[in-house]
Amino acid sequence: MSQPIKLSIPSDPKYLGLIRKVLQELLDSSDVPDDTARRLILCVDEACANVIKHSYEGSCDEPIEATFTIAGDDFKVQIRDYGKQCDLSQIKPRDLEDIKPGGLGTHFINEIMDDVSYCTNRTKGTLLTMIKKIKTGLTSTQNKG
Amino acid sequence: MSIDLKLDKAGDAVTLSVNGDIDMSSSTKMRDALAPLFHTDNKVVVVDLSGVSYIDSSGIATLVEGLQWSHNSKNKFRLAALTPGVKDVFEIARLLTVFEVFETKELALAP
Repeated sequence: MSQPIKLSIPSDPKYLGLIRKVLQELLDSSDVPDDTARRLILCVDEACANVIKHSYEGSCDEPIEATFTIAGDDFKVQIRDYGKQCDLSQIKPRDLEDIKPGGLGTHFINEIMDDVSYCTNRTKGTLLTMIKKIKTGLTSTQNKG
Repeated sequence: MSIDLKLDKAGDAVTLSVNGDIDMSSSTKMRDALAPLFHTDNKVVVVDLSGVSYIDSSGIATLVEGLQWSHNSKNKFRLAALTPGVKDVFEIARLLTVFEVFETKELALAP
């Protein structure tokens, strides 16, 4: 699957389950192993939750656009919002030695994904791009063949 | 996406059983159910996660709060029956050793 799959949801937390389900279907259909799929879904969920919290500051009717691409061994997801642009200097995972609630989402994304970039070079909002090298069942078979 | 919660009181222990995905839309409901348990005479508070296949950072944050409440109230706080997906998230957060984690609810309730 090299054609991107695009999905737009309102910035309401109740739609996070929907985006997880769609991504699960997509990863299943591409034979991505379950444990890898789980982690990719976690990253997308956390990225969307961050958009709701920080870019739209809790407003529930703003657009979040997700674009998923699986090309070869690469899984790429782009999350676009049109809210408050994030301050790149403020995006950092918290110190894990400091046991306290909150701040883990960015840690999950940085820990799981191979490449994470935030682009604020636009009039409104942010484009987050996350890339992960994956080994799908399909590519494994192709490589063996 | 909603979660179902069930409370079971047995002696001086109470179990909160959670069913469903714990995410940004549902973690507040779990927090609201969990918080009052540390203000009673419950000596042991168990969260049974056997019905949870997905948890995000907001769910983990709620359980970390539970840990803090238990330290303040001197109650024991235990997690039971983590599914593989939930356990993996705890491992990525490097929090698995911070909590008292049991294979089953029954083990968590044992004195």
